[in-house]
This record gives sequence, C-alpha cells and structure tokens, in this order.
Amino acid sequence: MVLALAKARPVWQIMFSTHHTDVGLLYLVFSLLAMFIGGAMAIALRVELFAPGIQLIEDSMSYNRLFTAHGTTMIFLFLLPSASAVGNYLVPIMVRYKDMAYPKLNAIAFWMIPPAAALVWLGMADFGWYANPPYSVISAPAPAAEMWIFGLKVLGVSSILSSVNFVVTILKCKHPDMSLGKVPLLAWSFLSSSIIVLAAMPTFAAALLMLLTDRLGATGFFNPAMGGDPIAYQHLFWFTFHPEVYVLVIPAIGMMYEIIPRFSRRPIFSHSSGVAAFVILSLVAFASWAHHMYATGMSFTEKTVFMIGTLAAVPASAMHVFNFLATMWNGRIKFATPMMWAVGGIALFFAAGAGGVVNSAMPLDFITHDSYWVVGHFHLFVFGTIAFGTIGFVYYLFPYITGRMYSEKWGIVHFILAFVGACITFFTQHILGLFGMPRRIYDYPEIDSWISMNALISVGAMIILVGMVIFLANMIYSTAKGKPANMEDPFGLGGKYYYPYAQRNPHH
Amino acid sequence: MSKIFHLSIIIATLCIIPTISLVFAAETTGEYLDRKAEIWNLFFRMMTVAFVVGGVIAGTMVWQVWRFRESNPKAKPTPYEEKGEL
Repeated sequence: MVLALAKARPVWQIMFSTHHTDVGLLYLVFSLLAMFIGGAMAIALRVELFAPGIQLIEDSMSYNRLFTAHGTTMIFLFLLPSASAVGNYLVPIMVRYKDMAYPKLNAIAFWMIPPAAALVWLGMADFGWYANPPYSVISAPAPAAEMWIFGLKVLGVSSILSSVNFVVTILKCKHPDMSLGKVPLLAWSFLSSSIIVLAAMPTFAAALLMLLTDRLGATGFFNPAMGGDPIAYQHLFWFTFHPEVYVLVIPAIGMMYEIIPRFSRRPIFSHSSGVAAFVILSLVAFASWAHHMYATGMSFTEKTVFMIGTLAAVPASAMHVFNFLATMWNGRIKFATPMMWAVGGIALFFAAGAGGVVNSAMPLDFITHDSYWVVGHFHLFVFGTIAFGTIGFVYYLFPYITGRMYSEKWGIVHFILAFVGACITFFTQHILGLFGMPRRIYDYPEIDSWISMNALISVGAMIILVGMVIFLANMIYSTAKGKPANMEDPFGLGGKYYYPYAQRNPHH
Repeated sequence: MSKIFHLSIIIATLCIIPTISLVFAAETTGEYLDRKAEIWNLFFRMMTVAFVVGGVIAGTMVWQVWRFRESNPKAKPTPYEEKGEL
C-alpha cells in the first residue's frame, strides 16, 4: 500500500517531499517523539506526587511549568499530529486520488509544527494548557507566556491548513464514481473532525490575540482591573476546546472502524449509522462547551441547556459502540495487537463516557469540579480511548510503512501493561477526586487516603511507562530487523483489503 | 429496521417534551428549588437507565470477545474470509 521505508532513501528526500505518505511519515515520527517527551513530563509529575513533600521538583513554579508543557504537548503535538499522520497516509488512497488536494500546503502545515513545539518547550509557560485569565494576563511570567501564545497561534494555523486540505480532498477530489455515502468511515471521520476544526478554531485564535494584547497592556478584554471579564475568555476557550475533544476522538473512532471489521473478518455492520453518528457528534460538539463552567455563576437555565446539550452526545457515541459490537458478532476475531488496542479502547471509552455523564450533570458537577475526578476522566478519555485507538493503528500501519512486522508478543505485552496501568492510574484518580483532592496542586497534606491513592496512581503511571519503553524498542528493532511482512495480507486474516498494497500512489 | 428507528424517535420525543419546561428559568426561590429537585430526580433516573444499559453492553462485549475469538472451538470461518472484501 504505502510502504514508505522499504527502499532506503536519504532523510532529506522525505523531509522535503510533498507526497502524502512522506508527510504522513513526518507527522507520525514527530507525534511519537512528542508522546515520549510529554510522557516523560507526566512521569516527573507523578514522581513528585508519589508522596507528600518535595520528591523531585524543587518548587511549585517548575511544577506548573511542567504540567503546562505536558498538557500542551500531549494534545497539540502528539494527538493532533498523529491523527494527521493517519489521515495523510490513508485518506487520498481511500478517496482514490493521487495525493492530498494541496500537497505543498500539506507539507507547510506539518513544518509549522516543529517551530511551534520549540516555542512551547523552550518557553515553558506556567498557566496550564488553558491559560486562564486573570493570572495569564496579569502575573504569568514573560517571555514564556508570549512564546506559548505564539506557539499555539502557529499550531492553530497549521490545524486550519490541514483541515482545509482534508475537506477539499474528500469532497472535491474523491473519484467521480465514489458517492459520499461510499467514502470509508475513516475518511468520514477526517471530514467531520476537519469541519469542526474550521468552525471552532478561529474563536480560540481570536481569544489568543486578545490575551496577547491584554498582556501588552493595549487592551483589557480579560483584565478585571481594566473592566474586562475573565469569564469571557473561558467561554471563547471552551467554545473551541470542547469541540476539540471531538476533533481528537472522532479520528480515533474512525481508526477503530478500520481495525475492527478486518480483524473480525466481517464488514462493518452499518456504514450509514457510522456516518450519521459522526455528523451528529460534529453538531452536538458545539452544544456543550459551558458544562466546563458551571461553577462560574451561570444561571440555572444556561446550566440546564448545556447539560442537555452534553447528554445529546450519548446516543451518537452509543451508535458507534453498537456498530462495533454488531460488527464483531458472528465474526472470527483475531486478537492481534491492533485489535486488542481497539477493543481495549472501546471498553475504556465506555467507562470514560459514564464519567462524562456525571461531569455534565450540574448537581454532580459541583461535587467533582476541579478535583482529581476531572483529571481521571480527561485522561481516561484522552489516553484510554484516543491514544489506544491511535497506538493500535500505529501497529496496524507498521507493516505498510516499513515492509516488516513488529514483534506480536511484545505488542501484546505493551497492550496489557498500558491497559492495566490506565485502569490503575485513571480509575484511582476518579476516587481520589471524590475524596476531595483538588487538581493542579504541587503538594498535598498527609491524609492517609490521599497518600495511598497517590502512590497507587504513580505506580500505575510507571506500568504505562514500562509498556511505552517496550513499544519504542519494538518499533526501532522491528523497523531494522523485523521479519519481512506479507504485504498482501500482513496479519494473516484472509480475504482482500479494499485498498490493496498495489494501489499506492507513485512518488512525485 | 426503519420502523424501529421511527418508533424510537417518537418514543424519545414523547420522553423529552415533558422535560422541556425545566429549561426555562425559575422566577421565584421556591420554584427554583422545586426545579432543582426535578433535575436531580430526572438525572437519577437517567443514570439508573444508563448504568444498566452500560452494564449489559459491557457484559455483551466481554462475552463476545470470549465467544467469537479465533481460538474458540466453536469459531467458524465467516463468508467474507476468502471471497469478500474485508
């Protein structure tokens, strides 16, 4: 199919290429690098929280800088680029076009990311990945804050360029014989998420500009001392970033739609219900942003509207889960590594969704608000669902990219460690939140239940770390010395793939 | 299938209509408290349904994973394995 690495090529040839699989490979390598950097930051945070008192990080400011960089890295530099990697590899092939609609724009969109990452990593801002005013306007130290704002600005433009490319490629460049209803669900997931980005991202772009001019003293949009309203920033922020959750999860679900039918050896149960669920999720993504802000003094009416708007996502999410279950029914399921990640991701998606229902309900939200419950919920969703889908798909793409097979045994060990580690870490964080521990704190008092649960969470994080080290070693070793893959049927599933290896697009 | 779909929409609409009045702001303190209690009550019922359905689905998935795995002695080749497009 794509086979980017089978014949050795100079690195610069890949770096300066505009071919969709080369750009996809760049996205993939960069996103995995960012995942390991962001993961190392997470481990440092968990070592610090292992017990009360100073363990590793000397002061609260350094801790704040670290969790800001961790969140920004994982969301903007790992998850979004890894989705773009998959889209670049497969969307043109799925819609039977020679490349992305605008290949040069595609390469530019990728090359905007490393400088933005440098701004984020070298600046190390300390206001969290949401940069809430008034702290971010009045007190956050320069130039870290400005570097973060410029970095995010560049990443936002990159996302918009990438989304324009996906939308045009799917809607305008698909083969004339292919109706929109025949477009595979993975491509549909990119169409849905790209449209969400185009609708949501400009709002955050405006908010960042307002934040910058506020910091420069030219305006006072969010500065209470100048008559501004910090809550207005939260509205602008969450108008973009609640839909952004769907931007992250929809491609991951699309990836599961690729893996589950192949490894169940059955076609997707209902293509049309998958499309309908993507469209519904894209719409309701914009009906729920203020459920993040119940504690800001909103009226009862507003809270009720946003509670119902949030719960409206449940039927569409359930449609996906039913579709997966119905596809697996009567199949002959091969539990190779990609399938284990996909099924594990569905199980954790369900658990994370149940926690989301609790968060969205205003009576219960006041109990869990700003507690470790929220940290557990968010991470269960982002790691347990989105990263599980993505990592499973990396295993799935591996033979197509390298022409070799990864070690199946170590792939399964990686999955088991990640699944067990995720359950220990993120479920315990939920309970810790109910025991009252607030989020974003550098140290905590010596309360027995808090100490034992924090230690358990850190142990869970270490288990995930061991799995990720195995993943890295497996990828590097197998790329160089793995067994040559049978490119017609690398996973030994029988049948035919609908985008066989022979359909790869020639380089240009 | 489409009849079930349409029936589901009608039932869902009938369930939603009585709750719409809750959306509008309460004007007096007493009314506010009543509506807050109603929201709690509605949510409690929804959670009960959601967790029961969730438990059934999660159980179904665990059973499916065991029953339809390749190594199960009862596993049979699907019609799509040799001839169809997966």
